[in-house]
Order: sequence, then C-alpha cells, then structure tokens
Amino acid sequence: MRGERFLILPGLLFLLLFFGYPLYSILERSLAAPEGLTFARYARALTAHAYLEAWHNSLVFALLSTLAAVAGGLFVAYWTSGLPLRVKGFLMSLYAVPVSLSGLVVAFGFIVLLGRNGVVNQLFAALGLPRFDLYSWPGLFLVFPFYNIPLFALALIPLLETVGKGLMEAARASGATPFQAWVRVLLPALMPGILAGGSIVFAGMMGAFGTTLALTGFAKNLLSLQIYSLVAESTFDLPQAAALATVLMASTGVGLYVLALWERRYRR
Amino acid sequence: MRGLGWSFFTLFLLYLLLPMLAPVVYSFSRLWLDLLPEGFTLEWYARVLRDPKYLEAASLSLRIALLAVAINILAGVPTAYALYLWSDRMGEGLRRLLQVLPLLVPPLVVGLGFLLAFNRPPLALSGTFWIVVLGHAALGFPFFFRTVYAGLAGIEVRLLMEAAQASGAGLWQRLRHVLLPNLLPAVISGSLVAFAISMGEFEVTSMVAGFGTITLPLLLFQSLREDFRAASAVASVLLYTTLLALVGLSLARRR
Repeated sequence: MRGERFLILPGLLFLLLFFGYPLYSILERSLAAPEGLTFARYARALTAHAYLEAWHNSLVFALLSTLAAVAGGLFVAYWTSGLPLRVKGFLMSLYAVPVSLSGLVVAFGFIVLLGRNGVVNQLFAALGLPRFDLYSWPGLFLVFPFYNIPLFALALIPLLETVGKGLMEAARASGATPFQAWVRVLLPALMPGILAGGSIVFAGMMGAFGTTLALTGFAKNLLSLQIYSLVAESTFDLPQAAALATVLMASTGVGLYVLALWERRYRR
Repeated sequence: MRGLGWSFFTLFLLYLLLPMLAPVVYSFSRLWLDLLPEGFTLEWYARVLRDPKYLEAASLSLRIALLAVAINILAGVPTAYALYLWSDRMGEGLRRLLQVLPLLVPPLVVGLGFLLAFNRPPLALSGTFWIVVLGHAALGFPFFFRTVYAGLAGIEVRLLMEAAQASGAGLWQRLRHVLLPNLLPAVISGSLVAFAISMGEFEVTSMVAGFGTITLPLLLFQSLREDFRAASAVASVLLYTTLLALVGLSLARRR
C-alpha cells in the first residue's frame, strides 16, 4: 500500500495552486516596487490612523465576540448535552444551520426583526421604550453570536459528553457545591475544548465582513472592511490590500498561537 | 436554578429561530407594516421566477456549486485516503495544516489571493466563471477533506483495499469499486457541506466575480437595497437550500 502514497498528489497540487500560490502572490505584491522591494505599504499599514483604528477595532471586536460566544456557548452546550438523546440530536442539527447559512440571509432576518421599522422596534415604540439601533456596534454585537454560539457549542458538546457528566457526578458525590464543581472540576477539564472553540470563533471574527457589509456598509472601521474596500471600491489599491491582509493574517496567527500554547498547558 | 436555565435556553432558541423564520414569513406575506404580517401571497416568489435575472443567477449558482463539489471529490477523496494510510509525521503535519487553514486564511484572503494570483497568463481567470468555481472549491476543501477523513476512520479501509489487491484488482478498480462505495456516506456528507458553502458564498464571490458571474447571493446583496420583497424570496430560497443540504447530511450520517 506504500506505493499508493502518490494519491496525495491531486490534493497537494490543489493546496499549492489554490492556497500556496495565492498566499505567495499576496506577499509578493505587498512588497513589490518598480525597482526591487518596498516596505512602504507595511509602514502605512502600521502607522496610518485609519488602518491602526481598524486594526484596534477588529481585535477588540473579535475578542469581545469570542468572550460572548464562550459564555453563551458554554451554557448552551451544557444545557443541550443534558437533554434526552432525540432532542439533543435535533438541536445539534439546528445549531448546524446558522453555521452554514449565508451571512446575507442572516442579515436579512435581523433587518426584518430589528431594523428601523422592524418588529422589535415597533413593539418598543408601543411600549414607550427607546429604539434599538441595529446599524451600530451594539447591533453588530447582537447579530454575531447568532453564528458564534452554535459554532462554539458544536465544538464543545463532544468533549462535554465524554468528560463532563462523570466528572460533575463525581464532584457532587464528594460533597462539592454545584458552583465548586463547575469552577474547580468541570471548567479545567473542558479548557482544551473551550480554547479550541474560542480559536475558531476568534479567527472567524477577524476575517468576517459579509454580514457587517450588508448591515452597516463601510460605516464601521474594521480591518476586514478596509481590505475589502481597497479591493472593491473606488479606493482600489491591491498592493495596499495585500499588505493589510498580511497584517490581518499575522494578527490572527499570533492570537491562534497564544491560544494553542495556553491549550497545551491543559493537555498532559 | 433549573427554571432560570430553562428561560435562558428558551430565549436562546428564540434568538436562533426568529432570524431564520423572519425571511420566510416576510416572503409569504402581502404586507408587514405593523407588528404582525398580513395576508398570504406567493407574489414575491412569482416576481423572482418571472425575472430572468434571478433565474440566471440561480442556475449559475447551481452550476458553480456542483462543479466546486466535483473538484473537491476529485482532489479530496484520493488525498484523504493517502493521508489516512500515511500515519507518520508528514501525514500528521498535513492534516494539522488542513485544520488551521480555514482559520488562518479567511475567505477575504482567499478572494484577494485569487485576484492577485490569477490575473495574468497562464492563469488569467479574473472575472471568469472558473475563478468563482475554483474559489468556492478552495473554501470547501478543508471541510470536505475533514468529513471524508472522518469517514475513513469508520471503515476497515486497509483491510478492504488489501483484500481487493490480493484478488488482483488494479488501483483504479479498487478506488472505484471498493473505496468509493464504502466511503459513499462520507463523500455525500462532505459534498453537501461543500455544496452548502458554495450556494451561500458571498465574500469571495463578490471579490473575484465579474459582471457575467452574478450568483444568487450577489443578487441578494443588491436586492437588499433595491427590492426588499424580491430579497425576501431570494433569502428564503437560500435558506431552503441550506436546510435541504443539512437534512440530506443527517440522512447520510444515519446510514
């Protein structure tokens, strides 16, 4: 069977052509100048006020969204795994829907519910409450857990099934209060899964722009939207977009690396 | 405590279900000005079906998704098989790479990379049908691979293939008549995942597409501003597509 290893070639070729070569092109174009090399685009990416603000916003937005997803996802995963088998199976299929649904459909749904004349705002108006603005930072913070909580819960439920129940019962049997059992026993045991799920959410949030674009256009300054506007708008500048994309990947990469190191401490 | 937990969980389910139901309810209602929608109508679907623009976009999306799936099967199944047999460091490294790839390289970067890489000969694909197909195939590949690889772990691949080899079957015959039939549920699952990704894809498509390649999600993006009624029908159709793919997925897993 060793002779069959050449079957890896189609996949290898695919990865080199559609990931390797495009990534190389990004790096090359971000550095290319008429004569030799230039770091001017990176200098701009790391000094221009608009880009720095975008970078800062993206990091804060991704981190806060990840924390929200972890908090919500832990609860949802724990609650779901305690339900009867059939209900649990159905709910896990349900959680797969937001994860694979087009971001534009989700944007549409939230506009109908929470837009200026949306159902919720009509209800709020009738009750004399202030209007909720979907097209703002709080609005975006309300929309993204729709993907992130199910995504995180789906990543955590398998681990929760294998280690969670037995540990909780053991902890309770040896006299721990529910709170102690959670904090001292369950959370440390779940930590690898929490960090792995958190990585997925964080990375996704750093790169996401479709739903944001559909809701707030270019009004919110995020790194992903800066890159997209350099590609698709009149400010067209692909080499600068390439430099920003490298900064984005490096930021995501450092974040993922830190999370992976943290995760290693829990694996023995 | 349990009561509080249940109310939070119910709130979460509402938060999950209402945004999915909203486009559907909107697409079937004549008017939605007040709190509740009024009147049942199929008019918005009819408007979309009468407009060649939407039909062309739907057929284009379908063709792109099917081709992206076909490319994934051709590239992904042999690779998953080879990596499964290859249990040393290099195989492990490639598997890890395919796990982090979609995290490190988001659709935004795939789109930009494709624009920069495929805009000059020999691969001048900018704005063509094929750049969209290949972009979607690239986005789906890690997920397709993961599903098929997990499927390989569930069957006695090595044993099956060795038995077939001993009885004189050539490599192609073994792949075609032994591996593929046994792996079919996993290949179908992976294909449905890749299909769903492609059908709803907006980010890469909007970066690499030309005027000739307006897919359904791109049209939905336009309609969000121009024709909210038509948008509701298109959004619902995309939702039905995802739901169908996921139902197929759970059927394939059950077998």
